[in-house]
Amino acid sequence: MPKIISISKLNYAYPAEEGKAPHPALHDVSLEIEEGEFIAILGHNGCGKSTLAKHLNGILKADSGEVTVFGMNAADEEKVLEIRKNVGMVFQNPDNQIIATVVDEDVAFALENLGVPYPEMVERVNEALEWVGMTAYRRHAPHMLSGGQKQRIAIAGILAMKPKCIVLDEPTAMLDPQGRKEVMKTLLRLNREIGVTVILITHYMDEAVQADRVVVMGEGEVVLDGTPKEVFQNVGLLHSLSLDVPQTAELMYALRQEDIKVPIAVLSVEECLDELEKQLGGIGK
Amino acid sequence: MIKDITLGQYFPGESFMHKMDPRMKLILTLFYVVSLFLVPDFWGFAIVGALMLLIIIFSGISLKVVLRGLKPLMFIILFTAFFNVLYGGGEPLFPEIGWLSWLKAEGVRNALFMIVRIILLILGTSYLTYTTSPVMLTDAMERLLRPLKAFKLPVHELAMMMTIALRFIPTLIDETDKIINAQKARGADFETGNIFRRAKALIPILIPLLISAFRRAEELADAMECRCYHGGEGRTRYKVYSFGWRDFLALALMVTVIGAIILLMIF
Repeated sequence: MPKIISISKLNYAYPAEEGKAPHPALHDVSLEIEEGEFIAILGHNGCGKSTLAKHLNGILKADSGEVTVFGMNAADEEKVLEIRKNVGMVFQNPDNQIIATVVDEDVAFALENLGVPYPEMVERVNEALEWVGMTAYRRHAPHMLSGGQKQRIAIAGILAMKPKCIVLDEPTAMLDPQGRKEVMKTLLRLNREIGVTVILITHYMDEAVQADRVVVMGEGEVVLDGTPKEVFQNVGLLHSLSLDVPQTAELMYALRQEDIKVPIAVLSVEECLDELEKQLGGIGK
Repeated sequence: MIKDITLGQYFPGESFMHKMDPRMKLILTLFYVVSLFLVPDFWGFAIVGALMLLIIIFSGISLKVVLRGLKPLMFIILFTAFFNVLYGGGEPLFPEIGWLSWLKAEGVRNALFMIVRIILLILGTSYLTYTTSPVMLTDAMERLLRPLKAFKLPVHELAMMMTIALRFIPTLIDETDKIINAQKARGADFETGNIFRRAKALIPILIPLLISAFRRAEELADAMECRCYHGGEGRTRYKVYSFGWRDFLALALMVTVIGAIILLMIF
């Protein structure tokens, strides 16, 4: 798979407020992202994960280091539209990213900006709404919808641009469990069925385990990077970063502390159950 | 509280008026207002009144709703009428009753004239907003004012600001409710005391609301940039308006009314 985003030695500090030192947010971050990956980025509040996301489509500009997106420098003012068209971004609060007062008009917003001709625009809006399963609500006012529905509208607004990559900054943080499930399902389908690269910033472990790859950040640096199984073996390290681990990994970790020989990388409940049965069976005999 | 005001409100519907092109409605409303000020006598009002009656019938919105909207303006109407009576010239209406000598024929006529004019004015403009959603109205304004771009008037920016303001009204009303409840839960008192005390009690509502509005604005700006917003340059529109038979029919009617009024002015 070709690399679509490569970040090398990225440094960024937020400009200093009066009388204060600049607030460093990212320190020598290097990361390569391949086409079609589903990546979860984990980290506690203020670890720089949102800041990192905003470098991927030129909302923030690196102090030093480089972000290359589809062969373009992400900080290049000339190519900003081309970059943003390819790297869509969805934010946490759906209320603050919906611009129009009717659902389909909002989905069309990016297309209007890009100067897409009218007949194609209608087609792409319909397609995007279909994808997120919101076609029935196309003439509704967004403020009458549930959080999960609003967030799916926000995703449709990005999808209409036909981006190759979508970055989502804690898109489920303000949603109820039902809304979270809807959003997660939509993202997985997008990734599996049309090969959109998904970069999901989250602090829900159950979402992270569904990704192909998990990147853990702490204090502006990449701490861990690997498959969910690899990453969630480091239970102690994750705890020290004040992160949770999936409950199954937590249980295995606790058992291993007691010198019970279970494998550490067990993420699904079924697998976990099998392991426990094996252990209990062994003791019984 | 805020939801009770019918003036400037929009009532969704599928009527003749609703289906008209908002640009045409805006233009015709302007013509309507101008024609009201051209009207020379009560015959003129009869013509405009007949037009108004048609508008009411073909908008599917009952007059009752509209009259409720007039109520808050009753004071202004009576105020205007009062001064017109007071300063009118001409013969006293009842010469034999001494204390009514200030009641003069021309004054009363002027007052009635003003009342009818103001009521028709409010009715006509109200039906524009009743049958046109605010977004369509802003849209229509942007399109009609587009030629003024040549004079460096930021037409697109103004329309975008209006749209966003309209979009955030329900969001901010919700937020205000939440803040009021949060402050009440902490023992804030908004209901007792004199007007100054109550005004002061609003500060703990307004400050959090303002801060949150700024935070929202910042996030919205990021979200808009992420969706390739770069001003009005090279933008296409999702909504395409076109004039239909309804618009031409309405235009013909309006032209007839203005023509009739001009005839009245001449003869």
